[in-house]
Amino acid sequence: MCAILLPRDFDSRDIPIHENGRIKPLDTFVRNQLLLIYGKRSIKQNALPRELNSEGLSALDWFFDIALHPDEGDKYRIFNISNPEVVASLGLDWDPKHLYNQTEVLTGLKNQIHYITTIQRKPEAELTQFDTQMLKVYSNAIQYQTLSYSLSCLLPSIQIHNETIAQSLSINPGDKLSYYQLMRKANKLSHLMGRLINRDKNKWSESDYELQHVMGVLNEISQDKFARILKIIPPESGEQNEEWQSPWELMESRMIGPNQEKLLLTLESFLKFRIDNDTIKSDSLLAEYEKLLSLQFKGLINLDNVKLETWKNRANLFYKSIAFYILAFLLLVISWMTIPKLLRRISFACLLGGLAFHFYGIFLRIIIMQRPPVSTLYESIIFVGIIGVICASLLEYNRKDGMGIFIGAVVGGVLHFVGLGYANDGDTLGMLVAVLNSNFWLATHVTTITIGYGASLFAGLLGHIYLLQSIRIPFDKKYLNTINANLFGATLFALFFTLFGTILGGIWADQSWGRFWGWDPKENGALLIVMWQIMMLHLRITGLVKPMGFALGMVLNNIVVILAWFGVNLLNVGLHSYGFAAGIAINISLFTIFELITGFGSYFWAKNRQKQLTAY
Amino acid sequence: MNKIANFFKHPKIFVITIIWMMVLVVLGTIEQKHSGLFAVQERYFSSWVIWFSLFPMPGGRLTLIIMLINLSFFFFNKSIWKLKKLGIVILHLGGILLLIGGGLTAMFSSEGNMVIEEGDKSNHIEDYHYMELAIINTSSAEFDAYTIFDQPLLIKNNILTHENLNFEIEILNYLENCEPDKRTSSPAIQYKGMLKNFMLKELKPEKEDNWNRPGIIYKISNSGTSTDGMYGIFLGQPVVQTISVNDNNYTIVLRRKRTYLPFSIGLIDFKKILHPGTDIPKSYSSDIILTENRAVRKILIQMNKPLRHKGYTFFQSSFIEGPDGETTVLAVVKNYGRLFPYISSIIMCVGLLFHMFQKLPDLFRKSREKVAT
Repeated sequence: MCAILLPRDFDSRDIPIHENGRIKPLDTFVRNQLLLIYGKRSIKQNALPRELNSEGLSALDWFFDIALHPDEGDKYRIFNISNPEVVASLGLDWDPKHLYNQTEVLTGLKNQIHYITTIQRKPEAELTQFDTQMLKVYSNAIQYQTLSYSLSCLLPSIQIHNETIAQSLSINPGDKLSYYQLMRKANKLSHLMGRLINRDKNKWSESDYELQHVMGVLNEISQDKFARILKIIPPESGEQNEEWQSPWELMESRMIGPNQEKLLLTLESFLKFRIDNDTIKSDSLLAEYEKLLSLQFKGLINLDNVKLETWKNRANLFYKSIAFYILAFLLLVISWMTIPKLLRRISFACLLGGLAFHFYGIFLRIIIMQRPPVSTLYESIIFVGIIGVICASLLEYNRKDGMGIFIGAVVGGVLHFVGLGYANDGDTLGMLVAVLNSNFWLATHVTTITIGYGASLFAGLLGHIYLLQSIRIPFDKKYLNTINANLFGATLFALFFTLFGTILGGIWADQSWGRFWGWDPKENGALLIVMWQIMMLHLRITGLVKPMGFALGMVLNNIVVILAWFGVNLLNVGLHSYGFAAGIAINISLFTIFELITGFGSYFWAKNRQKQLTAY
Repeated sequence: MNKIANFFKHPKIFVITIIWMMVLVVLGTIEQKHSGLFAVQERYFSSWVIWFSLFPMPGGRLTLIIMLINLSFFFFNKSIWKLKKLGIVILHLGGILLLIGGGLTAMFSSEGNMVIEEGDKSNHIEDYHYMELAIINTSSAEFDAYTIFDQPLLIKNNILTHENLNFEIEILNYLENCEPDKRTSSPAIQYKGMLKNFMLKELKPEKEDNWNRPGIIYKISNSGTSTDGMYGIFLGQPVVQTISVNDNNYTIVLRRKRTYLPFSIGLIDFKKILHPGTDIPKSYSSDIILTENRAVRKILIQMNKPLRHKGYTFFQSSFIEGPDGETTVLAVVKNYGRLFPYISSIIMCVGLLFHMFQKLPDLFRKSREKVAT
């Protein structure tokens, strides 16, 4: 963790790139590209050639390898195709690891190109699963190509042997030039070119033949100009709202500003030394690159944030947090068997450790994006997790009997896993549409309502525990009453946040659209949670339900929360349906069934136990 | 009297109404998959009674009024007037205010659109849902005389007459959604105007009612001229219908119901900014001039930053990109109840916090006792 406090040198991971509306380190970009094609954020041993004898390769090293040596990319078996039907129709041999290399995939796709062009024209709803996967392989193959050739205009790939030509270009014979260099010096060759065109081919000199060859090579390289994905050169103007450009776009535009030119030249030399494995020189060029960025594009790029993000990518804070939560859970379970007091304390410390990593991860995201913690579905999952753990830690501090640790580890761990599922869709730090782009309301409404979700889930778990303990020890009324009191408090706490989160949402809507309430599905979802909790509280206060019924009600509240949180996205209507994900319906149904069975099951079992007890 | 109060203040009523409200919310949410928001609101939330085939059930409005009455009678409980219950009392007071505010909004608020092209100006709001038939006498050189028939009059077989008009209009059919369809055979003699070349083909109403293009087939009679005959008109008709009766020239337009404002708004420039390199909009804004009694003000309306003037609020809602420039769509709302949510949420917040802080030591003590034993 100290690494973040100490200033770190700029390295190739930190090269800023603009993608999907924001500036991010190259590291994030290539990780997400690799994730798209290969399904993981770094290359594992199974995709590497055996002779390399390496444990794995970072996404960035892989990227530089395929970009600096576009013709040698075949050694990586990174195309992950797991559908046997797709594998067969691409004419590939079945590989138990589902991994194939570029050439294999490209050859297969070429044979199916007719089919692919047909399905590309179809509307999305008509595509079969096979079709979508086929299209995915196709787009991945293109993506790979654009990555691999994205820097080819900067690579020293044209060698000049002839002295006359070398002289005209003011270089030494045998030197290698890049496409970019040669194009910059093109006017120096114009007199030679003129001679070449006017002269009879029979009378061509050696230099004429080489010039013709060079022109051929240039033409060949210019075929790579489709590879425009790598938008790493900031706009000359330094304007926030202007687009960044990729090296190939700049080659095409011929309107390269002086600062952009400096960046390109530095980058070019950096790549050259990287090919030669000259680390000292390439590092010094990176330092120069950083200096150029920080001096010339001062207002545009915050390099500290970019570095911070690179660090965050590597640190995997949420994985560490999960590890701690799991450890806390295991220690707690062991503490039920032996040395309860000590183990419980260590376990609580682990929970707090996990909480610290969890918190730090969220904190870094706030710093990097300069916006409040919750603005996407993914972020809401992580945030609800932390709220649950905080509530649980307070409970543990209060009760000191392990119950808080249990709830915290379960909520934190499970939600982290759900979050990881979402994170696999790619960059989790996306930009927001205009109407959400308001830090004030994101900070108030969204944060409040998400705290409400977290507190509600916490209350729901407490409800579960109350029911379970009523089955286990129905006679210990005093103990059960304490849980019931905690549950009641947790419900009030949850209601406070869901109610005001919902009202604040209305106020945001009033401010932005002029209506307080529009009966939009997400609004209705939030309203349902609020009404459910108000109903449960009134039922309990007026004595219409007993503590056990109240606990059941709060267990069922979990279903309401999940439906309001994820379920409304299934309707695919309204202002809030920003987070649709396939397969979500099945998970929601499973969760609902699970809660119904465990909730009602434990409720009736507990009732039965109570009856038995009074019968004695 | 006491008996009545005892009945109305019973918490069971509250529990039943809130459960019924939850049912309505669930149904009204799920139905949005198939029907438009406006239709759902009308059926579930703004209604007094809902018919589930033959069974009448209380609609959202009635349910909330019962809840309001029940809540109001809560204050007749003598047992609540204690310092210990102060938080609860404040909380319920806030709840009542929220419901009253909702009621005021539901009854008295009005909303619509103001659509302005760049370089143009407008002084009226167009309703989202209701139409009007405007008959404009353009004969006078100094002024135009408007005769407007509102939506409720535009029903089948209704005859529209007015002292300003020297003819009658009979509505033969009102089509909720339609499109003009070119005639293939020559028309019958009674068809006039657009109907000579087109028919109005009735379409299935769209999911959202403001996506519809309504149309009317009407008959002009008693004009005593050859103008008598059958006409058709639809919303947004590119060529307006003009008729002349005894030296009077009329233009007939079917348009969204207009409300005129005591001031006008002109659009200087509409701006849309995207996150660079993406199609995700970063912000929308309209540079406008507000003209009132010859006083001119320049104002910028942005997403999340509306203009409030004379009880009206203008929000950046949408835009249209055309070949000759951009058109801004401002949502305009007049809402008398808009302060209620603000006040009531503050009151409820105070009440709930008060109650929680009163309760907290209690909860902690209980669990401490447990640890002690």
